[in-house]
Formats: sequence, structure tokens, C-alpha cells
Amino acid sequence: MTGIAARKPEGPYPPTSEMLDEPVPEALGRAQAERLRAAWTAPKGWRYWSAVNNTEVGVWYSLTALAFMLLAGVLALILRVQLAQPESGLVDADRFNQLFTLHGSAMMFLFAVPIFEAISILLLPGLLGARDLPFPRLSAFGYWCFLIGGVFVLGSILFDAAPRAGWFMYPPLATKDEGPGSDIWLLGLSFIEVASIAAAVELIVGTLKCRPPGMRVNIMPLYAWYVLVVGGMILFAFPPLIAGDLLFEMERSFEWPFFDPERGGDPMLWQHLFWIFGHPEVYIVFLPSIAIAAMIVPTAAQRPIVGYSWIVLSAVGTGFLSFGLWVHHMFTTGLPALSLGFFSAASEAVVIPTGIQLFAFIATLLVGRVTMSLPMLWIAGALAIFTAGGLTGVMLAIAPFDFQVHDTYFVVAHLHYTLFGGMVLPVLAGVYYFMPFVTKRRMSERLGRWAFWLIFVGFNVTFLPMHLTGLIGMPRRVFTYPGGLGWDWPNLVSSIGAFVIAAGFLVFVIDLVTHWRGPPASRNPWNAGTLEWTHDVPEEAWGVRSIPHVTSRYPLWDDERLLGRIDSGRFYLPDAEDGLRETLITSVIDATPMQVQRVSGPTWITPLAAAFTGGAFILPTFHLWGAAAVSGTVAVACILWWLWRDTAWPPEKEMKDVGLGLRLPTYASGAESTGWWAMWITMLGDATGFASVVFGFFFYWTARPDFPPQGAAHPDAAWVALAAAGFALGWMATLAARRLNRRGRQGLARAALGVGALAGAGGAAALALSVLHLSPTDHVYPAILCAIVVWLAAHAIAGLVMQLYCLAGSLAGKLTPSHDADIWNVTLFWHFHTLAALTGCAVLGLAPRVLQ
Amino acid sequence: MTREHAPRPDEEQLEFREESASLVRITAAPVVWAGHFLVCYCAVALVCAKGWQTGWLQPALLAVSLGALAVIAWLGFRSFRQWDVRNTGDFSNPHGEAEDRHQFLGHAAFLLAIVSAVGVVYVTLPILMIGVCR
Repeated sequence: MTGIAARKPEGPYPPTSEMLDEPVPEALGRAQAERLRAAWTAPKGWRYWSAVNNTEVGVWYSLTALAFMLLAGVLALILRVQLAQPESGLVDADRFNQLFTLHGSAMMFLFAVPIFEAISILLLPGLLGARDLPFPRLSAFGYWCFLIGGVFVLGSILFDAAPRAGWFMYPPLATKDEGPGSDIWLLGLSFIEVASIAAAVELIVGTLKCRPPGMRVNIMPLYAWYVLVVGGMILFAFPPLIAGDLLFEMERSFEWPFFDPERGGDPMLWQHLFWIFGHPEVYIVFLPSIAIAAMIVPTAAQRPIVGYSWIVLSAVGTGFLSFGLWVHHMFTTGLPALSLGFFSAASEAVVIPTGIQLFAFIATLLVGRVTMSLPMLWIAGALAIFTAGGLTGVMLAIAPFDFQVHDTYFVVAHLHYTLFGGMVLPVLAGVYYFMPFVTKRRMSERLGRWAFWLIFVGFNVTFLPMHLTGLIGMPRRVFTYPGGLGWDWPNLVSSIGAFVIAAGFLVFVIDLVTHWRGPPASRNPWNAGTLEWTHDVPEEAWGVRSIPHVTSRYPLWDDERLLGRIDSGRFYLPDAEDGLRETLITSVIDATPMQVQRVSGPTWITPLAAAFTGGAFILPTFHLWGAAAVSGTVAVACILWWLWRDTAWPPEKEMKDVGLGLRLPTYASGAESTGWWAMWITMLGDATGFASVVFGFFFYWTARPDFPPQGAAHPDAAWVALAAAGFALGWMATLAARRLNRRGRQGLARAALGVGALAGAGGAAALALSVLHLSPTDHVYPAILCAIVVWLAAHAIAGLVMQLYCLAGSLAGKLTPSHDADIWNVTLFWHFHTLAALTGCAVLGLAPRVLQ
Repeated sequence: MTREHAPRPDEEQLEFREESASLVRITAAPVVWAGHFLVCYCAVALVCAKGWQTGWLQPALLAVSLGALAVIAWLGFRSFRQWDVRNTGDFSNPHGEAEDRHQFLGHAAFLLAIVSAVGVVYVTLPILMIGVCR
């Protein structure tokens, strides 16, 4: 107990102005900088690729997303050439289907969402004055997963095997599709979604726990607010799709009829699960881009943002409301009028918070003295295009109007207006704005203006006529059309415009490539007020020389001595006397310093783990089940090795001097540690996934008269009861182990862990036995029950591995009574797992009797 | 309310201490909106799909809507007091003080309550205008 009681911050906080005025001796400052540099230097030569620091991973991530975007753009160009004239024969129908499916899928999954994660990984530590994010290796792992998954999905077009059922993969077209296309989509993109969730966890914990001392929630940069909201949305939006993918893939691989109406399934379930993900996703890509605008606009206006609270309101409000809109993608599926009314109403309501943030920007520009810098030009273009897209959105939210233009080019025009205005142009604005921070060089003003006008004009030439093409009846996704229907000239104009956009992107890419050799930028070229512009030119890998104490929203504008104090090492953590990479962990609301966290350095284990994880997802596409299982096992082994070697060992010293007289603990467990928060957030997403599968069960019950079918076999109630008991016992034993360990009763704690492992495994086995006699290929009722069992069994295996990991840690001296972070995290997993398991048992054991 | 009596020594500390739950608290009103939305959508889907008796549904859902609005109004009133703009005159709370953070969270929660109330009203309109099971 003494070890834990002593782990409290000691010394004065906040720092007084006398403390900050005291100069740092020059020789000491130089020696500190030297040590800091040594600790943070990126690996050289071929070892460069083992780097995990956010500055390296963020750049790889961004460039990879850009490359995927350009490739997806090339696919669109082929589509436009094909559609330029009626009866064109450049590509056949099948190839055309592959092209548009891959264009949409790649733009959404390989560009729009990943670029948010990429840019945030790159920028967030700078914005927060942090050295790095709390889990650098998790970012690197996410990046390698993204690269592997993206190459796999996009590469399929080269083998004429790409998915071809449209980016939303509606069954029965996608389930009945021959060839591996649909499997490539399902498995490849599920893999990337897992990586997205990993990045979301990293970014949420980074925003909550890695802010500089004093940066309370009311003064953090608006970008950080958006990261929180979007991270939260990813947690609730992606798991339904992952759950849907799981059902879908089980239908394709094992004939479990989730979406097959002949055996009780329902294709509508896929549409619901897809759009519960798909509509929030629109806001998941829109909000981070608006966040970039929220950084650029105050700088362009040279004054603080107007209506900070209003923007927070609109970010949080949009985040919530965007989950009440999904059915507006399904207005023509024959749902009851009242259901349509609900979703139509919510679709109109979301316009309010979305509009508020745009008005806040306009107000800021009105009251400031605006310099029309290049980034601001892009933002202005974005606002114009997005507003137009928003207006057609208001039209489409009205169900009867939607009936008319559903599946026509009007919808294509609308979605491109929202995505270009709400995402592409703000991101490009961000590239021009933040490039001096990222590469320490400025991009060309002249080329940038050329790129802007080419893309802006080209965009409108391409997509404005599409409103008309749609209104006069041209459906989307047709590979050609007969002449003389009035569709000829608008299609030709659109095709010409597409090449103007392409020319704009070409100029942008040339600018991007050549600027690396350009002159170095000044340190704060836009005269901005936020912390990222305290960066070092030329680049230093340490992120920030010393972590400042922050007291306002625009510290660079409000405190002219801040930069000098950061540079001289006056603030926190100016030194790396242990030669380790360290960053400061602060409290969630008020950012008071709590801990020094040692973050991990370069390693090959992350790309290795990602490669084998990739194998586990990719090999099933070719029905290589054995190889996939081996690959998955090796991936788990890699991750265990990575955790075991480098995380949560008792530190060599409990407390550490961080400067300004403050001493902080170097170890934390439970709610004070970043790992516990990461587990909490991950499990929230995981619970959403499980809820989606259970939702499937009740969906069938409401939607189908024959669910459960007459005379169907039910799960064996005795086995289900035994399983529930097993899971409950496993949970209690794990919790007891944590408490016993804390009290120093390590022997008993180990015994409890052993009992818990046996009980949990026994529970899973009993659950499997309870459905052994069911035949999931016959009807959706046994299939969905078995899906619940599969989900719970997989989690039971994970829970077992974690218990054994703690047991091994306890035996090896890694887990001690005062250093118990591992078992806190594992207990947290078990809380969620037990809740899910008991819910699952209730559905399996009770629902059949109640519902019939 | 706090201004009308002699301050106790620990009062400020108590009022402005780190509200670890307050980030979650600003989402209370939107959560009520989400709950209301789910109840309405699921109730209609269930009752109509199963062909149960429907006469009670519309008044019941309207009552749920009024209840949700009442809760949001209460949340809004509380957060308006927390914002305390009539005493401070501070609409923006841009400083790094505990008091500013406290009032800012009140302001954000207040605005979210307004948006949530509008959302609830919007979602109630179809129940009023279309009626259930159509």
C-alpha cells in the first residue's frame, strides 16, 4: 500500500511568475537539450521504418492516404471518360461496376477517415504541447494495418477481382456475387476499420490525458474538441458495420442466412447496420475538416474565434444528431410513413448545429481583419461549396423529394458537394496551412492558387450539371446510356470538368513534391496563436523543448514570453536524464500534472504484428482457414510480446523531478493510467458491436412473422444457465484477484486468477454446447443465436489470455501489489465481457420462451 | 445563488473543484434526445409490425415527448445557472481559471439543451401530424 500512497504529485503547482522568471543556466540548458535530442532521435537508414514517433507515422499515414486518394481519383477519371459520350465502349459493365465500387469505397475508407487520423496523429501532440501521443506503437500498428489493407483492397482491381456491388454492398447482390470481390471488400475494410478504432482510442486518450498543464477543457484548441467528438463517433459508428461485416462474411463463407429472405433472413438488416455506420461517417469526415477551418479562421482574422462555446455545442450536437439520420438513405425501401417522418425530422434538425459553426466562422471573419492567405482562400471555397451541398441536403431530407431523385445523378452531385466542400477543400487548406509545421517549409503561393482555382472551377463544372442530369432522370451506376435523352451534353461537360479537377490535383502534387527542396519557413509564418507554432525550425524530434504551463486559448498571442521560456527549457520536462522518451500526463478536466509517462520507442514488432493481423483478415478471402488461424495466432503472440516486454513494468524509480519544483510519479494504474482509459474506450466500441448483433436478433423478431419459427430447436437452457454461472464466476474471481493483489496477498490472487480462467473458459464451453444441436444454415434463427455465441466465445478467449497474462506477470514480478496496471485493465475488460455474456445468455436462454 | 450569503472558506474550492463527471454531464441533454428518439422509433416499429392495439400509442408517445422536454428544460435551467452570465457578463470564458471552466461547461450544456429541445420537438411533429402506424 505504501508504494501507491506515495504516488502523488509533490511540489508547487501552478508555477508562480517568479519561478518562471528565473533563467535557466545556459550550459545546463544545452546539456538538457543534448540529452533530450538523444532520447527522441528517429532511427536512421533502413531502421527508419521501425519508427513509431507521431512525426514519422503521421507523415507516412498522410502520404499513404493521399496516394490512395489519387488512385481512387484515377478510377473516377476512367468512369468519366466512359460516360462522356452515349454508347461508349471504353469499359464494359462489369469493369465499370468494379471502378465505381472501388472509387467510393477507397475515397471513404482509404482516404476520408484515415486522413483525419493521419492529420490528427501528426498535429495533435503539437497542438497540445505534448511530446507524443500516449501509445506511439498503437499509431504505428494502425498505420501498417491501413497500408496492408489498403493495398489489398485497391490492388484487387488489377486482377479484375475488385468488389462490384457498390460501396454500400447491398445484399442480395453482394451476397450472391460470384468471385472474391465482396470478400475482399468485407475483410479488407473490416481490417482497416479495426485500425481506425485503434487510432480513435489513441486520439481520445491523447486529448483527454496529454494536454499541457493548465489547459483546462475551456481553453483547449477547438481541433481537440472535434477530435474528442469524432473519436467518440467512430466508437459508436464503426462497430455496427464491423458486426454487419461479420454476419455478411458468415453468410458468404458458411451459408448462414442472415440476409437471405428464403430462410428467414432480411436484407434490410444490412441496410440498417450499414447506414447506422454510414451516416455518422459523413460527419466523421466532415467534422475534422471543419476543425481545420476552426484553426485557420482565427489566424486569418487575427483574433480569437467568436463563439467558442457555440462551436463546442455544434460539434457535440452534430455528433449526437448524426446518429438519428441513417434511415434517410433508405427512404425508398417501403418503411412506414411515420418512421420516415422521424428520420426526415432529425435530418432537418442536424442542419442547426452544422449551420451554427459556419456562422461562427463568418462572424469571426467579420469582426477580424482578414488577410486572404492561401489557406483562407481554400476555406472560403470550401464554405461556398459546402453550403450548396447543404442546401441540396435539406431538399433530400424531405422524403417525397427524395423519392423522385433517389438513385439519380442528383444524389451524386449532392454527396460530392458535401464531401468536397466539407472535406476535400478544408483538408487541402490544412495542408497549405500546416505544411510549415510539418516539413518546416512553405508550399508555393503561386502553385497553390493555381491548384485552388483549377479544382474549384473544375469541381463546379463537373458536379453542378449533375443536378440537372439527375433531375432529367439519369440513374447513377449505369455504365452507359442511349443518346438523345438530353443526357449527352451535361455528361460531356462533367467529364471535361473532371479533367480540370485532375489538373488541379496534379499542380498540388507537383507543389507538394517540390516544396521539400524549397526555402525553410519561418517559425510562425501565419502569426497564429496556438501552441503548435512553438515548434522548432529546423526540426527537432522532441516535439516541444519543454512542456509549457498554459493559461489561455491563444497562448502565443497572449503571452509574449512563452516562446522564450519554452526554448530555454524553463517549463516542464526539459530534460531526459534517464535517456527515456517521456511525456506528461495530466488530469482530464483541468489538466493538472499527474504522471510522467514513459512512451515506447522504435520497434519492428508493430509492422510484424500488423502483417500477421493482415494475414488473419486477408487469407480467409481465399478460404485458407488454417493459414489464417496460424497467422492470427502469431499476431496475438506478437502483440503479447510487445506488451510484455515494454509496458507496465515497475519503474526503476517511483518519482521523478519534472522541473519547476514539481515531482511526479512514473507509474499509474487504474483510472489514473492512460492504459485504463484506452481499455475503457475500446470496450465501449466493442460493446456497441455486440449490441448490434443483439439488435439483429430483435430486428428479425419485429420484421419477420416466422421468428422464431414454429417448432424450432432452442438453445439448451441448462447449458446456457451453466455458461452464465461460469462467466459470472470468472468475473468475480478476476475482481477478487485484483483486490487480493492490492492487499499483498499475491498467492491468493494467483489462485483466484487460475479459478477465474477455468470458470471463464468453462462458461464459453458450456455456451458452445448449448447451441451444438442447432443448424445455423437452415434458418436465420439458429444462425443469429450461433453468431452471438461466436462473438462471446471469441471474447472469452481474449479474457482467458488476459487472465493468464496477469498470472504470468504476477509470477515474473511484473505485476506486484503496488504496480498493478495490468490487472486493473483486465478487470475492466471482464466487467464489459461479463455484461455482454450475461446479456447474451439472457437472449439465448430466455428470449425464445418469452417471444413465442 | 452563491452571492447572497457570506462565503464559507472552502466554498469556492467545492464549487469549482475538478468536475470529473462534467464532460459527461454536458451530453445529458443530447442523451435525452437520443433516448426519446429511440423510444419513439422502437415503439412505433414494434407496435405496428406486431399488429398490437394502437389507440394508446399516440398519446403515450406525446406524453414521453413532454417528459423529455421537461427533463431537458430542467437540465437547461441548471446549466444556465452554472453559466451564470447574468452575474459575470462573460459570454466566452476564455481564461484558464477553474471558475471559467465551470461556467464554460454550463454555457455549452445550456446551448446543447436548446438544440436537444429543438430536436425533440422536430421528432415529435411527425407523431402529431402523421399519426402512428401509417
